[in-house]
Amino acid sequence: MNGSANEIAALAAKAARGAGAPPAQAEAFGQATICHLAAGRDPGLLAQALFALPLGPITTLPGALMRVLEEATEDTAKGTLPATGLTESYAEAQPFALTSTPTDQGFDITFTLTEPANRTMPARLALPVALTEKMKTLAARTYVPETEASRLSGAGAGLTDND
Amino acid sequence: MKDFIDLPQVPLRPPSEVMRLTRMGSMFPTRLSFLRSLMRRLAAEHVRVDRKLWEMCADGFGHAVYTVTLGGHDYSLVAVSNDLPPEMRTDRVIAEAWDSAYVLYDGVPGPEEIARIVASAPKQEAARFTERDLILSRANKSVRLFEHVVSELRAGRQPSAGMIASVGYLMRTTAVYGNGKFGIADRYLIQDRPGLEGPFAAEMLTVWLIRHFTHELAEHMGGAKLDKPLKRHLGIGNSTGLGMAPFLVTHPVLLNNWMTVRETALARVRAVETLTLAEQDRLSELADRAARHLQQWNVPDAAHQARIVTLRADWERARGDLVLGGVRPLDQTMQRMAAHSEDIQELMVALLIEPFSDLVDGLTECMGDAHGAFCLPFTSAAALRSAIEADAAWALEPDYECAQGCAQFWYVSEAKLEPRLGNRHTEPGADLESPLDIGRRIRALHADLKGVTGPVSAFLDQHPQHALAVSRMEMTARYPYGEIRDNLIADTCLPIDMLRCKLSFFGASKFDPKSDRWTRLTLCQGAPLAEDLSDGADDWWLPVFVP
Repeated sequence: MNGSANEIAALAAKAARGAGAPPAQAEAFGQATICHLAAGRDPGLLAQALFALPLGPITTLPGALMRVLEEATEDTAKGTLPATGLTESYAEAQPFALTSTPTDQGFDITFTLTEPANRTMPARLALPVALTEKMKTLAARTYVPETEASRLSGAGAGLTDND
Repeated sequence: MKDFIDLPQVPLRPPSEVMRLTRMGSMFPTRLSFLRSLMRRLAAEHVRVDRKLWEMCADGFGHAVYTVTLGGHDYSLVAVSNDLPPEMRTDRVIAEAWDSAYVLYDGVPGPEEIARIVASAPKQEAARFTERDLILSRANKSVRLFEHVVSELRAGRQPSAGMIASVGYLMRTTAVYGNGKFGIADRYLIQDRPGLEGPFAAEMLTVWLIRHFTHELAEHMGGAKLDKPLKRHLGIGNSTGLGMAPFLVTHPVLLNNWMTVRETALARVRAVETLTLAEQDRLSELADRAARHLQQWNVPDAAHQARIVTLRADWERARGDLVLGGVRPLDQTMQRMAAHSEDIQELMVALLIEPFSDLVDGLTECMGDAHGAFCLPFTSAAALRSAIEADAAWALEPDYECAQGCAQFWYVSEAKLEPRLGNRHTEPGADLESPLDIGRRIRALHADLKGVTGPVSAFLDQHPQHALAVSRMEMTARYPYGEIRDNLIADTCLPIDMLRCKLSFFGASKFDPKSDRWTRLTLCQGAPLAEDLSDGADDWWLPVFVP
């Protein structure tokens, strides 16, 4: 799938929800996904994260980032994040300006809390076909099957508009 | 905030008063609305609409291309008109064909790009688009008015002013997609461009150009020109359903910024010490215009028509409370409005803001959200619980266990992913509920926080299901107008209140509800035509039809 960042983020978030992630963690995965793809990192790590639910980075990284932010002093938050393959992508998805350095333990990161992230995103992102299909399959788990009652009344409008 | 002007203002109305569904469902368009901002910009730049291509048969089927230059960039509307069988004409998301389809294109498309769009735009959600395609839309005809206008023009007559007043548009858009949907350009690609910085600016440009196209299509088929007053009153219709409601819940920063700007504008005009004679005359004139606008607002739905009739009568009384003399007259006016209905209060808010462009127009630069939620975690679980008790009492009060308190659930249907609302007690699917139950989640979080000490992150390690509620509370601290302070799954929740709030920010008027979750409305009614952009381009608040 060669698409926009917004549609890929939305698809990834729905896929994570379909795979069992709570809504906020699913949304964070969606944003991390587009940072991951924009940086040219291995898309296979995204698939692994989805397969790992309810464990794995989709569950643990939001908490790890929150711990760093909880330790903020004045305008700066510093900490070490574990290396998971998605760590940098999650850090880059935060709204704050980021510096990141790889270490033996993972990544030493610093957020400048008074400056917005300097995120650059290309006009198109490429999501491998197999991963796209996997995400669509997982996302479909969040859709309610069609019934006649739902079709007739669920949207609050009729089926024809010849006025 | 880009508006750094330090102007006097009274305290803002608090979120506990403003962010309630019934008040949001009483809102009217203001001079801060996105269409108004766009029209001012187009007029300031003396924008011209250039018809680059018109390949349309006598029956009005074919395609056209219009180009405008705004802020140094060219944008083109590619319009495709098709022959739609009546049995396929539905405004629902589940539709698969429409009378017309549109793409707002980045630049001026060449023949290959036009051919691509002409082939793909009519397929809408079933097609894929490129980063050159900024907005995707479609529209259905108001068949009776469209056919009437064409037949009258063909007969050498102008169409019935009564019919134009009654319907108000030749076509209704049924979706206006932006921000990356189906492969079109992401919003961030254009958000820094002059003229398109504001929220939904590209969407508003698109609907204004679609309106222009519908006028020219009818004139082409009728073989004659419409009289200008008739044409100016022909806006572009819109059918809006549930899909718009979740947007307000899932974009709390934007909602906060829109509401904060609106409330700040009101606070500034309330702080005006005295009114000049010209300002007094202007307010009186606008109050009269509002009364005439209400007289021309008629809808088929009996309940809503009754509400409009009540509003008309109440407005006549409320005008008596419009204070024009003395000190801080508009603050006095709003204090007097407390005795009136929310419909009247919000109409008065829109009226009071209207004459004061110098005080409020700069605020429109603060309505976007370029960076996302700039929030920090709470310092401890105890601090979080205290914040809930201080700032989210609205979430703690409802009984979410009783049948009425959780009667509805929001969901996405597998049928073209149409957003829908179900009855939890009689319909299947509640296990796949969309997470719009913010109040219920905050209350559950509050309950589980009892007696918890230590950092919130440690709490979430044990209770990951509460992460959404935690993030919403973090946002409430910084974006106090970002949360709708009502139970969105109660049987009393009427999605149309959310629709009207959002649509009023677009600049919509003449709401015509078809149910409590679906409405028709009119955009651009009374707005300048392409040839009028430099002539009274900003004086069309609550337009009145004078044929």
